[in-house]
This record gives sequence, structure tokens and C-alpha cells, in this order.
Amino acid sequence: MTGDQTPQPAGGSGPPPEAGEGWTALAYLIGGLAVWGCIGWLVDQWLDTGGLATGIGFLLGGAGGVYLVIRRLGTPS
Amino acid sequence: MIGQSIVLAEGDIPFPPSVEDFFLPSIVPWGEHSVWFTKFTALIWLAVGIAIVFFLLSYRKPQLVPTKRQWIAESIYGFVRNNIAVDMIGAQGVRFAPYFTTLFCFIFLNNLWQIVPFVQISPMSHIAFPAFLAIISYVLFIYVGIRHHGFAKFFKHSLMPPAPWFMQPLLIPIELFSTFVARPISLALRLFANLFAGHIILLVFTFGGFVLLNSDAIFLKPISVLSWAVSIALTFLEALVIVLQAYIFTVLSASYVQGALADGH
Repeated sequence: MTGDQTPQPAGGSGPPPEAGEGWTALAYLIGGLAVWGCIGWLVDQWLDTGGLATGIGFLLGGAGGVYLVIRRLGTPS
Repeated sequence: MIGQSIVLAEGDIPFPPSVEDFFLPSIVPWGEHSVWFTKFTALIWLAVGIAIVFFLLSYRKPQLVPTKRQWIAESIYGFVRNNIAVDMIGAQGVRFAPYFTTLFCFIFLNNLWQIVPFVQISPMSHIAFPAFLAIISYVLFIYVGIRHHGFAKFFKHSLMPPAPWFMQPLLIPIELFSTFVARPISLALRLFANLFAGHIILLVFTFGGFVLLNSDAIFLKPISVLSWAVSIALTFLEALVIVLQAYIFTVLSASYVQGALADGH
């Protein structure tokens, strides 16, 4: 598994600290659509707007997800 | 014709495989209908036993110049400590190295049952085991974050992205979902689905070979050899998946702990 390397001092060839960022970005994009799509659908059921609120929800959620990816992952801290 | 041969073979060969193949009967003679001691139970305990015995034996008389077994055990621990815990979390990651090593070995050994001949099913192909491991990592990173930042600051840090105030109502639900809902679910599902699908694929090609062999059409019979060859090749692919999934689970757990310990932007 580790090949023939000996236990080495810290700072080897492991994953970089941002290794989870791909999954985080995916979670933001899907999460944005899912959460706001769901909220939009609930508003739809409540006000009977015939799918309009769901559509607005998806748009807002998609935009929010992209915005979060940019703010959280875009600029290295 | 193929459909017909499958119907004919249905009596003795469980083909096509289904979810039912994952619910194995009890293996203790006195509890035939009990679900509390199945092959999975035995495999889990066996994997735990192997890990404990292996590490105890390897470290029983530690030498300055390590023996081969001690070297393997030290490499495993050193790999997780240096290349996962310290690389991802930083110097304070050493604190979590024992947990990550345990997690890695536990998942790896239990995944390994998937390709051990005559066992060939992993307990991790039942959602309960990955789900519980995901819950442990979930509780760990929230606990670590609260310990490090304090309750209010931790949740403010993880729920409020650096953004103008009028964006917050839009963003906080997304943060809540992606950090506190999607993380444990995706951890558990990723491991479970990989092992589940791997087992199904091996079943399809192994039993599919028998179905082809039993078919009426003479020119379909030789293809069963091809089917078995593919199932052997896929077993090697599964070996890769097994190591990779144990690694990914550990790395993502480390990444969540790192996120909980990070000091704002």
C-alpha cells in the first residue's frame, strides 16, 4: 500500500489540505439547487403559483451555490 | 433465446442478482430466523480480531531495526499519520492519527472481504456499517469544532460564509445542507454504493457464466469462459476500489476535521 517507503517526516506526498474541496464544491452546487428548489416547491404548494416559485427557487439556489463556491473556495486564504 | 435460457436456469442459479442476495441467513444453528448473527457479523468481528492481533504482535517487542511485520505496521501508521493527518490538518493532526488509522484499517479490512476467495462479500455493502462510521466522523468533527471555537463561534464560522449581509439568508440554508446534511450522507453512501455495486457486478459475471453455460444455444456456452475471465479481471479492479474507498473515507474525515479547526478567512 505504501510501497517501499520508510516512515518519513511530516510533509510527505499526502493529499494537499484542500483535498476535500472537490466534494465541497459539488455539495454546494447540488445543495443550493436542492434546498432552494425544495423551499420554492413548498411556497408553490402554499400559494398555488403553478411552478413559478419552484423555478425561482432553482435559479436562486443555483446562483447561491455558485456564489458560495467562489467565496469559500475561490480565493486561497 | 437468451431470455428463455435465463428462465430455464432460474431454478438453480440465482440470476439476475438482486438486493435479496445481500440479506444472508443466520449462521448460528439455534437462531434460524434471527438476524443477529449472520456472515456479516462474523466477518466484522474477524476483521477487528485480525487488526488487533496484527498490531499487538507487531509491537510486542519493538526493535530499533524493525522486523518485517513491525515495519509493515509502522508503515501503515506512519502513512496515515504523516500523509493524511499531518499533511491535511497540520501539526495538531497527530492527535487524530490513532482515530484515522483505526478507521482506515477497519474499513480496509472489512472491504477486503469483498475479494477474499470463498467469502466474497463485504459487510460494508450493508448501509448500516458505513452509516455508523459516517456518524462517528460527523460527531467527531462537530465536537472538535465546538471544543476549538466554542459553540456559537463554530456554528457562526461554518454557517456564515464571508459575504455581504443581504446574501446570508440565501446562503445559510445551503451551508447548513452541505455541511451538516450532505457530509455524513455522502460519506456513508460513497463507501456503501461502491461495495454494493462491486458485489453485484461480480455476481452478474460469475452467475452469468453459469447461465451461459446452461443455455440451450451451443454457441453461447463458450462465452461463459469469457464471463468468468471478466469476473476475475473485475476482482482486481475491486482490489483498487477497496484501497481507494478506505483512503477516501479517511481523507475526507480528515478534511472535515481540518475544516472544523480552521480559523476563519
